[in-house]
Amino acid sequence: MNCTLVLSVLALTAVLLAAGGCGSSEERDGTIRFWQFWDISVVEPIVREFEAQNPGIKVEVEQLTWQSGLEKIQAAIASGTQPDLCELGSTWVPRFSYEGVLEDVTAVHSEVADSFLMWDSGLWRGRVYALPWVQGSRVLFYNEDLFVRAGLDPADPPETWDELLAAARKIHALSDDISGFGLNLGERYVLYKKFMAFAWGNGGGILDASGNVVFDSGENLEALEFYQVLSRYSLREKQEVLDHNFKSGLLGMQISGAWNLRNYAEEAPGLNYRVALVPRPSKQAGTHASFAGAEMLVVFANSKNKDDALRLARHLHQYNQAKALCLEVKSVFPAAVGAIDDPAFAGDEKVRVFVEQSLTCQTAPAHPGWIEMEDIINRSIEEVLYGKADPREALSEAADALRVVVKRFE
Amino acid sequence: MLTNNAAGRGTSRLSPILTLLLPWALVYAVFFLFPFVFSFVLAFLKYNPLNVQNTTWVGLENFARLFQDERFVRALRNTLVFVVGTVPMTTAAALGLAVLLRGRVPGKSILKAGFFLPSIISMVVISLVFKLFYSPSGGLNNALSLIGLGGHGWLTDPATALGAIMIMDVWAAVGYYAIIFDAAFAGIPREMYEAAHLEGAGFKDTLRYVTIPMLRPVIAFVLVINTIRSFQIFIEVFVMTQGGPLGATDTLVLYLYEAAFRGLDYGYASAIAYVVFILSGIFSILVVRRFRPQFGSGGVA
Amino acid sequence: MKRVLQLALLLIIFAIMAYPLVWMLTISLRTGDGLDFRYYREVWQAGPFDRYFLNSVVVVTIVLVANIIICSMAGYAFARYRIPGGRVLFFLVISMIMLPKQVILVPLYILMQKFGLIDTYAALTLPFAADPFNIFLIRQFLVSIPPDCEEAARLEGAGELTVLFRVVMPMLKPALAVVAIHTSLINWNSFLFPFILTNTTSMRTLPVGLAMLSQGAHSIDWGHLMAGAVIASLPVIVAFLVFQRQIISGLTSGMSK
Repeated sequence: MNCTLVLSVLALTAVLLAAGGCGSSEERDGTIRFWQFWDISVVEPIVREFEAQNPGIKVEVEQLTWQSGLEKIQAAIASGTQPDLCELGSTWVPRFSYEGVLEDVTAVHSEVADSFLMWDSGLWRGRVYALPWVQGSRVLFYNEDLFVRAGLDPADPPETWDELLAAARKIHALSDDISGFGLNLGERYVLYKKFMAFAWGNGGGILDASGNVVFDSGENLEALEFYQVLSRYSLREKQEVLDHNFKSGLLGMQISGAWNLRNYAEEAPGLNYRVALVPRPSKQAGTHASFAGAEMLVVFANSKNKDDALRLARHLHQYNQAKALCLEVKSVFPAAVGAIDDPAFAGDEKVRVFVEQSLTCQTAPAHPGWIEMEDIINRSIEEVLYGKADPREALSEAADALRVVVKRFE
Repeated sequence: MLTNNAAGRGTSRLSPILTLLLPWALVYAVFFLFPFVFSFVLAFLKYNPLNVQNTTWVGLENFARLFQDERFVRALRNTLVFVVGTVPMTTAAALGLAVLLRGRVPGKSILKAGFFLPSIISMVVISLVFKLFYSPSGGLNNALSLIGLGGHGWLTDPATALGAIMIMDVWAAVGYYAIIFDAAFAGIPREMYEAAHLEGAGFKDTLRYVTIPMLRPVIAFVLVINTIRSFQIFIEVFVMTQGGPLGATDTLVLYLYEAAFRGLDYGYASAIAYVVFILSGIFSILVVRRFRPQFGSGGVA
Repeated sequence: MKRVLQLALLLIIFAIMAYPLVWMLTISLRTGDGLDFRYYREVWQAGPFDRYFLNSVVVVTIVLVANIIICSMAGYAFARYRIPGGRVLFFLVISMIMLPKQVILVPLYILMQKFGLIDTYAALTLPFAADPFNIFLIRQFLVSIPPDCEEAARLEGAGELTVLFRVVMPMLKPALAVVAIHTSLINWNSFLFPFILTNTTSMRTLPVGLAMLSQGAHSIDWGHLMAGAVIASLPVIVAFLVFQRQIISGLTSGMSK
């Protein structure tokens, strides 16, 4: 009787372990494991077409989340079970390149360099480690009705910093719950994208061509001082709040991305808004620079199916395939050149602005220490906006901290 | 007498002990002990998941770095503030609520159900709701505007962000503990209240000299689990503020998480984990000592 | 008079505490003109929620049964037997609760991968099959109950495991009620580990499915977010309302010592 009970307990344990029988995946040759962040239903058709064109190759697609996708990729790499092909945000690629886990794709670059944008993040020490897939620029959104109420012409959006400031001031004065401009504050990862648009427009930056830190430049200082003044006529809040207020018609302008085109259409159909290029310092100087984020495709160096994976990557990032994905998700654009001439993109007045903006966009410097640098930069801007630090000091301290990080990766 | 009857036979009946403990031991050893030991060792290594082959032994370097790390000190301070701020408040509020629920109250079960509800909703959900609730045009400011206040960005002001999250946490937990206390009251013999009443004790004195002493073990239990959970605060700050603004809501586990998954320095993250572990342990022992000096009696040798 | 004051105070507190949830509901229903369930419909259609729901139910059930059996056995052993090094062992059990789980995330993943268990029900259940909190609860509960019934059973020739399952378990009901609630709740709401340990849609649980949704098409919209939040909480709330009496009585009788 003791025995039966012991046996049943052991049986229970065995059953639990056996439950592992269902669904374990194995590595089969000829199968490419592809991890990416988009909805499977969107990526599937493109992948199936690839399989049709390449009989004998199967593709297993898995979807990651932005919240925990990175942990998953890291855990997989650490345990040696990383996928063959993977989508990575451009800000992560430099670190991966530096660690040597990515396959060198310089050969591909030499072939097709001019057909694509946003290569920079995939560069490291003269070699290329990632293929640009899709990208999204940030542009100026503005509310037509609020413009009219403030005596501004919606057909003539602000083109310079002065005009932007004037518009913000006028709209901000309309009423207590209406704000002129939307400034991101209180959250970490977005800040630099919005501020750097102005810094870059003014000729400033983070690293120069030789990799030296130039964050404490005069151009950056001017941009930060301008940003500080702008914040007086702004709603200083997290992105969700900015979006909510913009949709409710309580926010005059904000810099944001293409996902809003679809969101605003669905959630605020009555909203009259337009988009424009991010204003430049003045009509004579500077550029309409902005931030663009890119998603890139990387092949892991330890993959057993490198050639096939690379073939899939090239299939995916081709203009037509990327275009199909972009038209489906409506929040990004192909990193392949050609969108500006394609009526599917250029035909829509608002979309056209995004595509035009992407031609003068910049992105975070391709440096393996970027994650740390991003925190330093965000922190320094935050301190200025909260009035805890003087712009010149903040930039100078940040630049010093950045130099320490850069040195560590030399 | 009651509990240690097995004392005599404990050592000679090894087989039942083994059988009883085997399943747990298996699960524990495989799914906890191994990762636990791994992470313990990790704290003495420099481990980068992208570069596992270059893992090196660095001894106590990770720990030494901690105390010179501005961010660690800040996270430590915030976490301590959080623990010291929420644990007593939650416990006291729960006790107060339970006191209020005493006697024949109409609709008591509906009230109890309502108070309990927040504690069964996932913290991720609660954090998302409150993230919007605390925004300038969110529910809180809507309500405050009725009395002429409001419009404040509770989570974007470094001075109020941590406090706002603390209040949310108390809100989420108080009902759960109140129900526990409420039932524990049933365990207090009537005679004690009658005796106190006869001696002319008022409401406050009864509370102090009868109720609370009788509830000591329960209070201790509540304080300990609450403390351990509070030291590990992560989801709230991860979802709502990512440690901002200006690091006002930066906590130990958030830093640990970022050190591992953004900084790719698992060794350092493990070192932080051990600080959390040790602090939880110290605080728990202190609480238990204070409220249940006789804890530890029982069947365990 | 005192009663009126008491009730009034309770109602005020109730109203204040209910407010955020009520607000959440109104946001999820206010779709522009009037109130309707549009957001709910869209959220539900955005993923195979029936599959996610099924997975959550399966996982929670397995984990619950496993915990009840395994933790009862271990808790009983710790309560009734003199185990060599028992105190240390018990402390080790408890100490599990104090370590932040993020630290064992990657080691656990590596382990699961070595066993080939990623993306299986085993990965979602085995690591959680013996929650130390439950062992602690059961042991504490048993310690305050005299072992007379067990003695009697042994005298009649019952073996240890029979004693446990036929005699002790029924007595453990209140503690087991707490175990059931605590374990079900934690595993139903669990996100991080289920996400890391699964790869495919067909194995995802509800919280993971919802997270995937919240970063997709409807990422920042308040209405959809709140509708998703309500959907995530609904099963728990419904279960609570249905089993309220048992839950609260189980919870409390286990605690009132």
